[in-house]
Amino acid sequence: MKSGLKIIHWIVFLWLLLVIIRYELIIDYLSLIFSYISLLFTDTSSALTILSFNFVDASLSTLLFLLIVPLTLYFGKRFRFITGMLNFSFGFLIMLGFIFLFAPIITNENPEFSKNLSVTKLLPPLSTVYEFELKSDIDNNLSDAEFFLKESEEVIKPPFNDNIILADSFRLSDKVIYYQKNEANEIEKESLISKTGIPVIKTKLYLIGTDEFGRDLFARLIFGTRISITVGLGAVILSFIIGIILGFIAGYRGGLLDVLLNRFAEIFLAFPVIYLVVLILALFGSSIFSVIIVLGISGWMSLFKIVKSEVLSIKKKDFFSTAELVGLSKIKLLSREILPVIIVPVLVNMVFLFSNVVLAEAALSYLGLGTGSSYPSWGSMISSGQEYITKAWWLIAFPGLGLILTLFTFNSSGRMLGKVLNPRLRK
Amino acid sequence: MKSDIVKTLVIRFLSSVLTLFLLVSFLFIIIRLSPGDPTDKYISAKLGSELSERIAEKFSLNQPMTEQYLSFVSNVFRGDMGVSYNFRLPVFEVIWEYFSFTLVFASISFILQMSLSIWLALYVIKKRKKWLNKFVTNSSLFIYSIPAFVLGVSLIYIFSVTFNLFPISGLRSLDYDDLSNLFQVLDKLHHLVLPLITLTAAGIALFYKYIKESMDDVLNQTFVINLRASGVHENIILRKHVIPNALRPLISVAGVELGILLGGALISEVIFSLPGMGRLTVDSIFSRDYPLVIGCVFTAGTVMILANFLADIIKLKIDKRLVKGILN
Repeated sequence: MKSGLKIIHWIVFLWLLLVIIRYELIIDYLSLIFSYISLLFTDTSSALTILSFNFVDASLSTLLFLLIVPLTLYFGKRFRFITGMLNFSFGFLIMLGFIFLFAPIITNENPEFSKNLSVTKLLPPLSTVYEFELKSDIDNNLSDAEFFLKESEEVIKPPFNDNIILADSFRLSDKVIYYQKNEANEIEKESLISKTGIPVIKTKLYLIGTDEFGRDLFARLIFGTRISITVGLGAVILSFIIGIILGFIAGYRGGLLDVLLNRFAEIFLAFPVIYLVVLILALFGSSIFSVIIVLGISGWMSLFKIVKSEVLSIKKKDFFSTAELVGLSKIKLLSREILPVIIVPVLVNMVFLFSNVVLAEAALSYLGLGTGSSYPSWGSMISSGQEYITKAWWLIAFPGLGLILTLFTFNSSGRMLGKVLNPRLRK
Repeated sequence: MKSDIVKTLVIRFLSSVLTLFLLVSFLFIIIRLSPGDPTDKYISAKLGSELSERIAEKFSLNQPMTEQYLSFVSNVFRGDMGVSYNFRLPVFEVIWEYFSFTLVFASISFILQMSLSIWLALYVIKKRKKWLNKFVTNSSLFIYSIPAFVLGVSLIYIFSVTFNLFPISGLRSLDYDDLSNLFQVLDKLHHLVLPLITLTAAGIALFYKYIKESMDDVLNQTFVINLRASGVHENIILRKHVIPNALRPLISVAGVELGILLGGALISEVIFSLPGMGRLTVDSIFSRDYPLVIGCVFTAGTVMILANFLADIIKLKIDKRLVKGILN
């Protein structure tokens, strides 16, 4: 596919798209960061206590977002990858990276926000509702920290907000009458936030619909992507560390330890890992960390085998014995002499491992053993969507599609990498 | 040569038993490490300390750990895995009932996977169309990337909810008992269509990848060119020379896959709520039915190890050069 499009063009395109769509949000985030910094100078202790994960997340994302273009331009010269040709897999891979890094910029809806269930429950994609915002009591003697919190809630939305009313339709007379599923309610114009005397009524768009609790599916999908990728990365890195170290020990030392480790790897390989994972998670309880650890531990065998066989052959090479005789420590031998030689097959294996882990995490969440209900995850979204399968196809279609495309991307890029390595398949 | 093969098989068998033994030990350790112990179900705060101690004694919890471990291992290997809390039946009987279903279900799926993937690979190679090759390769990768539960749920949506062609779940219709024998079988098959597709699709894609790659490998070797040059018919080359040589990597994968299938197709059995090993395991784990959990995991492991062992024997049968290679 010689389209002439390079990967860097795609990165810049996605970046520009986000800038154009979300420039208001980015400016809001920036002003929030500045007011936080000024708060840090005036009132350090309370500034530190009100620091929340969401705020740190959003501000880091924003800063990284601003830096990404100079960074790619700078590092682009070093990595040939960035000027490579664009194809579907790489394009989707980069999109996933964008979602992972810049989730708070892509959507600032809270994935847990649910209000006025009768209006928002199970809305199909591209439906809109009207959003009224009540005036909150204005307190003039707010401290700086409280003022900052109030300001930040405007941008980083909390999961609960009593001041927002969602409605199907409305009528303006001397009062505002709004309808929620044939039920009419009225409120005073004065109680709404207004601009030059006219109450502000926004329309709220649900891009891919809502779920059974009236939560925005798009926001859940975006943040669910993050969870899946975090679990995948964490587990793969853990497998990498275990596999490399055990493989090095087995290959380098040999002897009884080698035999034992081999048997051990054999057990893990000779067993449907998903059973062990389900068993361990059910016995010890499941959280995002235990999922990462269990999946990481259950995936080290293939890496172990690769590293061991490579170490066995490297051990006899001249450059390695020289390095040994110079007196390098074991860690340096591993990181400087062995890792650079075996990094490519290891990398291919890790790509496949990543797709396995993402799949396993989704399957676990589907069974109700995943990262828990506090985080939206693709698997749990599908499993809760299955109950509404007759009414709401979008609950399953979008997370399912995301999962399929992610797995496909990783499988096919792993295969592409593998082809580069295996000259017999290349023609 | 013959004694070599016997020796290899014996060593291979012993290592399988060792693996099984390690698996059982591993299970024991996990169960003992997990919070709570089997007496929790019977002991409450209202019981006096004397009574609860007596219950602990009944469960041999006051004996030293090594003693507990030894009796656990010997019981498991004798097939005595206790009584299931939920079914109030010996674990062995419960598992046997569910395993017979899984055996049929998995075997059908396995045969479908093998035959369809080999047929597809042969078809693509015979046609010699570049676009066809590319299309099948890419679509098999795509199908392989569809998680079983996404495929299953979408199939339910398309065929059961929208078109109402197949039942959503279960193995029997409501009027099952009134049907004649033939229709009972047909009814069961009707219920099994969607689960079979769910279970089989990914396997076909996986096997296709392996068989196609190794066939391409063999086709590029000189003896095939030699055969072609001597005017042997293409069909005979494929059937007599390429397939037997290409089967080897497939058999090792098939052993693993068969083990996984027989151990219970966890996800598809859960989606379609079929009475198989996979769902039994999940249910027993969630209801904390420990004897049944141990039984299920032990069965799955045994089946898996057995399937690998079988695959090795078949490989030996096909290719005698492998006598040394298998032990590694």
